[in-house]
Amino acid sequence: MIRLTDIRKSFGKDDVLRGISLEVNKGEVVAIIGPSGSGKTTLLRCINFLERPDAGEIRISDLYVNCSKASKKEIHALRRKTAMVFQQYNLFRHKTALENVMEGLVVVRKMPKDAARERGVRLLEKVGLGDKLDAYPSRLSGGQQQRVGIARALAMEPEVILFDEPTSALDPELVGEVLAVIRQIAEEGITMIIVTHELGFAQDVASRVVFMAGGAIVEEGPPAELFARPQEERTKQFLRRLAPEYSI
Amino acid sequence: MKLDPSFIGEALLKLLEALPTTLAITAVSVGCGFLAGTAIALVRVYRVPVLHRLAAAWVTVIRGTPMLVHLLVIYAGLTLIVDTLTGRLGLGWNSARIPMIGFAYLSFSVTASAYCSEIIRSGLLAVDKGQREAAQSLGMTAMQTLRRIIFPQALAASVPNLTNFVIGMLHGSTLAFVVSVVDINAKAEIVASTNWKFFEAYLAAAILFWAMTILLERAGGAIERRINRYHKGGVA
Repeated sequence: MIRLTDIRKSFGKDDVLRGISLEVNKGEVVAIIGPSGSGKTTLLRCINFLERPDAGEIRISDLYVNCSKASKKEIHALRRKTAMVFQQYNLFRHKTALENVMEGLVVVRKMPKDAARERGVRLLEKVGLGDKLDAYPSRLSGGQQQRVGIARALAMEPEVILFDEPTSALDPELVGEVLAVIRQIAEEGITMIIVTHELGFAQDVASRVVFMAGGAIVEEGPPAELFARPQEERTKQFLRRLAPEYSI
Repeated sequence: MKLDPSFIGEALLKLLEALPTTLAITAVSVGCGFLAGTAIALVRVYRVPVLHRLAAAWVTVIRGTPMLVHLLVIYAGLTLIVDTLTGRLGLGWNSARIPMIGFAYLSFSVTASAYCSEIIRSGLLAVDKGQREAAQSLGMTAMQTLRRIIFPQALAASVPNLTNFVIGMLHGSTLAFVVSVVDINAKAEIVASTNWKFFEAYLAAAILFWAMTILLERAGGAIERRINRYHKGGVA
């Protein structure tokens, strides 16, 4: 279980996160939506300290971190319990698809190479890239790169996978293959927090949708409910603009 | 006065005696310069408190002064310091015991450190910050991230500039004659004046340097192709 309590973050005078509290249960898939600049990506990056929160608390199962005085060791522990899939994929450019998936296992988890390779091959096959094991990222399409990114995250067997707009950088015709993979792993009960602009996908896959605006959570609920009967004016506006088919 | 083509070959053979000296000076200055330059670049890119200011100052001072001046200052300064120290401590030896080539090694390494640090620094800056974030998100330590992810990519991006740098140090090593080290160029000088065939001797030196440069270019190109397989695409 993940519990974020009163997470705050500002960049200079700009309060990007104004006290976010969020609970995600094991096996839950939470989609975070909202206009750009609402702080969704920052929130996600605060969970693994790619962005250091100014204040707040993060709890992931038995690990508890007080953000304002988190030690290196605690940050490291948080990162071992989480994995991230990036908007720009961020595959290691000098490593093949398989090496990308093995890297964290061998270097961080100290797993023997053979075992890491075995798991790497299995996961790449799972995301449909069994024939691309030895390809460098520059030889892969965006969709393929992102699927390697997902395999790399899965390999670490984290408590939660953080998806940062995983399809935003993709050509439209490649979005489907990535969403299909995410949907598939969602069904396996892996806990996920997904920042996304794909409302249809959020409705489809998420067990809960969180709408953020102006650095705060405006409302949250099961997708069917939130999309069909948004309570807050801010949510209604957003849905009207982004997805006229939901508007009431 | 007439050109004596056959003497060029003769001179070349004589210059080869000085080849190891030139290679040694180049190798030492490039090697030490690379290590020191890498340290300087890392200190600057990661903004290590206090040290990064010192590193920046070092680079502007060293790059702001000619290689020949480094050699002369170190030659004069080091002998003074060593002689004062050994005299005071009564060690019973003096700077005359330092081999002349030692001054060349030291001063050219100093020169190389500043230039090389800028090459490595630009390589480090060329690595996308997403690479570091991906490594961090996997739980890698700063050291693991640097060693396994950032540095290999920075080095790969630096290969063309590094080749250029090695060639520059090779050619710069000719300044060693100032402290009486007989490198290829100094040898050419000797061969020229003892035979009164200046043009031939200098031409032989030029040919030798060019040949070495071609080898370096080739080596650099080969490393670039190997290392950049992943840049241009391709399968292992």
